[in-house]
Amino acid sequence: MSSETTASTERTADSVAERLHIAGLPAPGYAPADAVLSVRDLNVRFNSENGVVHAVRGVGFDLLPGKTLGIVGESGSGKSVTSLAIMGLLPPTAEITGSVRLNGKELLRLSDKAMCKYRGNDIAMVFQDPLSSLTPVYTVGHQIIEALTVHHPKMSKQATEARAVELLRMVGIPSPKDRLKAFPHEFSGGMRQRVMIAIAIANNPRVLIADEPTTALDVTIQAQVLEVLHTAQEETGAAVVMITHDLGVVAGMADDIMVMYAGKPVETGSVDDIYYNPRMPYTMGLLGAVPRVDISEKISLVPIEGIPPNLVHKPTGCSFAPRCPLVSDACLQGEPELWPVGGPRGGANGLPASGTHQAACIKTDSLGAEVDVHEIFHAPAVPVSRFDAVPRLERKTVLELKDVRKHFPLLKGALIKRRIGTVKAVDGLSFDIREGECFSIVGESGCGKTTTLLEIMEFHKDQDGEVTIGGLSNKAASDARTKNAMRKELQMVFQDPTGALDPRFTVYEVLAEPLENQGMDKPAIRKRIMELMKLVGLQPDHVNRFPNQFSGGQRQRIGIARALAVNPKLVVLDEPVSALDVSVQAGVINLLDKLRAELGLSYLMVAHDLSVVRHISNRVAVMYLGKIVEIGDVDSVFDNPRHPYTRALLSAIPVPDPQVERTRERIILQGDLPSPLDAPKGCNFATRCPVFAALPAAKQEKCLTLEPPLEPAASSQAAQAAPDQQFACFFPDGELDADMLVVHGAP
Amino acid sequence: MTNLNAIDPAAVAEEAKIENDDVVIAKSAIILRRFLRNKTAVAGLAIFLALTVFSFVGGYLTPWDKETIDPFNIGMPPSADHLLGTSQAGIDLYALTVEGTRISILIGLVVGLASVLIAAIYGCTMAYFGGKVDKVMLFILEALIMMPALLVVAVATSGGGNGLQENLPSWLLLIIVLLVFSWMGTARLIRSLSMSLMQRDFVKAAQYMGIPARRIVWRHLVPNIGSLLVLDITRGVTGAILAEVAFSFIGIGIKVPDVSLGVLIGQATSQVATFPWMFWVPLVVMFLLTGSLAMMNDGLRDAFDPSSGSIGSANRSKTQKTAKKNSK
Ligand SMILES: Nc1ncnc2c1ncn2[C@@H]1O[C@H](COP(=O)(O)OP(=O)(O)OP(=O)(O)O)[C@@H](O)[C@H]1O
Ligand code: SF4
Ligand code: SF4
Ligand SMILES: [Mg+2]
Repeated sequence: MSSETTASTERTADSVAERLHIAGLPAPGYAPADAVLSVRDLNVRFNSENGVVHAVRGVGFDLLPGKTLGIVGESGSGKSVTSLAIMGLLPPTAEITGSVRLNGKELLRLSDKAMCKYRGNDIAMVFQDPLSSLTPVYTVGHQIIEALTVHHPKMSKQATEARAVELLRMVGIPSPKDRLKAFPHEFSGGMRQRVMIAIAIANNPRVLIADEPTTALDVTIQAQVLEVLHTAQEETGAAVVMITHDLGVVAGMADDIMVMYAGKPVETGSVDDIYYNPRMPYTMGLLGAVPRVDISEKISLVPIEGIPPNLVHKPTGCSFAPRCPLVSDACLQGEPELWPVGGPRGGANGLPASGTHQAACIKTDSLGAEVDVHEIFHAPAVPVSRFDAVPRLERKTVLELKDVRKHFPLLKGALIKRRIGTVKAVDGLSFDIREGECFSIVGESGCGKTTTLLEIMEFHKDQDGEVTIGGLSNKAASDARTKNAMRKELQMVFQDPTGALDPRFTVYEVLAEPLENQGMDKPAIRKRIMELMKLVGLQPDHVNRFPNQFSGGQRQRIGIARALAVNPKLVVLDEPVSALDVSVQAGVINLLDKLRAELGLSYLMVAHDLSVVRHISNRVAVMYLGKIVEIGDVDSVFDNPRHPYTRALLSAIPVPDPQVERTRERIILQGDLPSPLDAPKGCNFATRCPVFAALPAAKQEKCLTLEPPLEPAASSQAAQAAPDQQFACFFPDGELDADMLVVHGAP
Repeated sequence: MTNLNAIDPAAVAEEAKIENDDVVIAKSAIILRRFLRNKTAVAGLAIFLALTVFSFVGGYLTPWDKETIDPFNIGMPPSADHLLGTSQAGIDLYALTVEGTRISILIGLVVGLASVLIAAIYGCTMAYFGGKVDKVMLFILEALIMMPALLVVAVATSGGGNGLQENLPSWLLLIIVLLVFSWMGTARLIRSLSMSLMQRDFVKAAQYMGIPARRIVWRHLVPNIGSLLVLDITRGVTGAILAEVAFSFIGIGIKVPDVSLGVLIGQATSQVATFPWMFWVPLVVMFLLTGSLAMMNDGLRDAFDPSSGSIGSANRSKTQKTAKKNSK
C-alpha cells in the first residue's frame, strides 16, 4: 500500500518535472529517465570542534548507464563525503539533505537495513585503502562468496564458488582457484585492490563508485588496477563514479568530469571541455599546476596561492575568491551558481543535461582559449642557475657513491633465528652529483630508494661502499668532528611535512635548533631566521606560530627553511611534494627550483611521481630491486628510454590530456616485484620483462644467466646522441610482448 | 562554562586579520573543552579540589586538633561538640580526618608526580639510546618489578629502617619507598611510546642536524608524551593513595602519631560494631578521593583521545550549539 502512494507521488513529481522540461526549465528534482544514478542538491554537514562543517554543498549530477563520471578536487573538497553519502555510509551524526536516486528510487532517507539491499548489489564501492578494506581473518574466497550470498541467498555452493573463480580471473589474479583459499595478507596491495574490485562487481552492480582506488599503489600497479577497472566496467556495463585528485588518472577513462572545490561543484562538463577549454580559474590553475611527464620543454608551474576555505563559515562570495587572481568586487556578491558556458545566464540549479559544460564563475565568458594561465596566476619565469652554463664535468662533485651496498638478513623462527635469505635493498650503487644539479632516483616502492638515502645520511665508517660528501669520505669519518662537518654540507627535507616538525615547537624554535647547534649567537640567529622565512616565501611575523597553524604547503616550506638554515651544499629531498595537494605542490616545486638556481644548491631527490621528477631534475636514475637499471640526463631517459622497465614505468604514468591518454600505448607489467627470496639470478627484471617474454628461448637464456652491466649504448650512434645515458639490458631494442601492450580507443 | 562558539563581531574582525587563526584552536584549548564537556570529569575535579581545600583549611574550623584529648568525650558518637564524634582516646575525629586527608593527598600527589617524572626520564633515555643502554636499563627495571614491595616497606618502616626513622617522619619514608616501586610500569609504557616517537621524522631531522642525544630527549621526546604523562599522573596519585591506605591498614605504613586515612581506617576496623563512625568517616573520604580521581581520569582519557565521540552531532543543526553544550 505504502509503495503505491510513493509511486503515485513520484509520478506526479515526474510529470511536473516533465512539464517544466518541455517548457525548457530544468526542475530541481528532475532526472532524465535513463540515468541510473541521479543526485540533486546533495548537502552534508558535520559537527566539529570549530562548529558545523558544511562538507558538501549542493552536489548534483546524472550518471548514464555505462558512462564514467570523474570527480576531481583537492583534499577536503568533499569528494569522499559525497560518495559515502550516496552509499549511505556516513555516520548518523551527519546531516544529509537533497536527493539521491538509483533507477528512480530515492536512497537518501532509507534506513540502514533497507539500504543494505542496494549496497553491494545495485551500487558498489571500491575504497582507497586496500589494506583495511578486507577482513584479515577470512579467506579471500570466503569474502567474495559472502558478498554473493548476502544478496542471493538461494545460490548453490558450487555456483558461488564458480562465480568467485570467474571474478578473480576477471580481475587478473593468476591461478584463481587456488587463490580462493588465500588470506588477504598473502596478497600484495595491488592484488588486494583487485579482490576489492572483484567483490564490488560480484553482483553486477549498476553503479560502481571508486574512491581513489589507486592512490595507495605504485604507478605500474596503478596501471594494472585501472586496466582491471576498465575490463570490469566493460563486463558489467556499470556506470562508474571515479573519484581522484589526480587529473591524469581520469583523463583517459572518464566521459564527464566534475571539479569540486570547497564542497561545491565549480565546473562540470565533458572531458574535452574540462581539459581543453576550462572556464573557471580554479580548473585552469589546477591543469597548469601539474607537471607533464611527456613534455621536455620546461615551463614553470602555475602556483595557486593560499589554501581552501574553512567550510565552517558560509562563504559570502565565490569560495575561490581568496585565491583567485581575477577576483573583483562583483565576485564577492553572493556565490556564483553553475551556469552553462556561453549559454544563457540564470539560476540553473538542476543540470540541463548530463555533460553540459557549466562553470561557477562570473567571468567564465572572458576566459576563452586565448587566455594564458601562466599570466593570470603570475607563474614565475623558469629560474636559471649560474651552473647551467658550465659543462657538467667541469663542476665540482658534491656527493659521490661508490659501490654502496646494504643487505638485510632475512630471519625466520621464533627462538632460534635461521637465516633464510638476504634482502638486497641496495646492491652496488654508484653515482655522483655535481654542483647545482638535481639528481633524482625513481622506482617502485621497495626498490631501495629510501634505503639509499638512509645510507647516505648514516655516513658511517663500517658501511659497505664509499660515500663521499663534499670531499669528506665516510671511510675517514671516525670522530664526531668530521660528522658535524658533513652535517653542514648535507641536510634533508622529509616526505611528511607534519611529521617532520615537532608539534610543540614554534617555527622560531624549529629554525633556531640547527643554528644553536652550530653555536651561533642569539642576534645572529634572529637575523638568519628572518632571512630564511623570506627565502621560502613565508611571512616573517609568523615565526611564533606552531606548525599546526600552517597549511601542508607552508609546513613543507618550513621544513625546507630548516634544511637551508646551515647553508648546506646538498639537500636530500625525500618525496618532498607527495603529501601535498596539486595546487600547493606547484608552489613548492617552483620554490625548490628557485632555490637551486639562486643558492647554487644540489639536490638528491627521491620521488615516485615521474612528472615531478622530469620537471625539476637534471639527471635521473631508475632503480629496480636495489640496482640502477638506467641512468642519465633526464630528457634522454624520458624521451628515449632504453631499458624495458623504464619504458613500462613511463608508459604507466597517466597524463592529464584526454587525447593523448586515449591513443597512448601502454605497457602493463604482469605481477608485482618478485619477493627477495626468489630474486632472479641473471637480469633481475626478467620475471616481468615485456621484452624478455617476446624473446626466442635461445636469447632468453642470456637474460637468465648473465647479469646485464650498466653501460652506455653499444652502437656508437646511439651513444653519441645521449653520451650521458647508461642502462642495464642486453636487448634494449627488442620487441615488446603483445600481451602486455594495451591501447584504448576513444571511449 | 561560557559559550565558546558565540561570535563576537569585534573578535571576528580581529581574527580575520590574523589570517586563518580562527581555524586553528590550540590543542590544549581543545582538550580543555573536551574535558569540560564531560560532566562526570568536571564533578570529579570539583570533588578533588574541595577535598584538598578541606584538608588544608578544615583544621581552622574546629577548636580541636589531632593531639588534644577531650577527657569528657571519649569514644562518643557525633555530637554538637564533636561534629564527627571522637576516638577511643578522646581525640576529635573531624580534626583527625582533616589531618589524615592532607597526609593522604600529599603522599598521593608527591608520589604520583615524582614517579611519572622519573619514569619519563628513564623511559625516554632507554628509548633514545636503544641497544646496550636499553638492555641494561630494562634489566634493572625488571629486577625492581620483581622485588616484593611489601617486604621492603615493612623492613624500611619498622625494624630495619631504625636509623632512617629517627631522622624522617614516617610519611616521608613511605613516600620514598612508594616512589621507588611505583615508576617502573609507567617507565616501560613510556619506553615503548617513545620508541614509536623515535621513528617520527622530526626526531630523525634533529639527529641529522647533529643535535646531541640529551637535548633530543629533553626537548623532543618528553614534551610529546605529555598527554600520557597527565593520564599517568592521575593514575599514579590514585595508586599511591590506595597503597598508603593498604600499607597503613596492615600496620606497616604510616605510624602513629602521624595519621592518615589508612591509619584511621586500620585502627577502626576492629571496632566497627562499637564505634561505627570511626570506620565510616575516613572510608567515605577515601572513596571520595579515589572516586573523584577515577572520574577525572575518565574525562581526561576522552579529552586526549581524538576518536572519542565527544564532538556532538550535526544532525540537529538548527539547535546544534545548545545541543552541543547539553550533550553528555
Ligand atoms: N566524519 C566526519 N566528521 C566531521 N567532518 C568530516 C567527517 N568526514 C569528513 N569531514 C570533513 O568534510 C570535508 C570533506 O572531506 P572529504 O573526505 O570528502 O574530502 P576529500 O575531497 O575526499 O579529500 P581527500 O582527497 O583528502 O580524500 C573535510 O573538511 C573533512 O574534514
Ligand atoms: S567568480 Fe570571481 S573569484 Fe570566483 S573564480 Fe570567478 S573570477 Fe575568480
Ligand atoms: S636483460 Fe633481458 S630480461 Fe633484463 S631487461 Fe633486458 S631484455 Fe629484459
Ligand atoms: Mg577522500
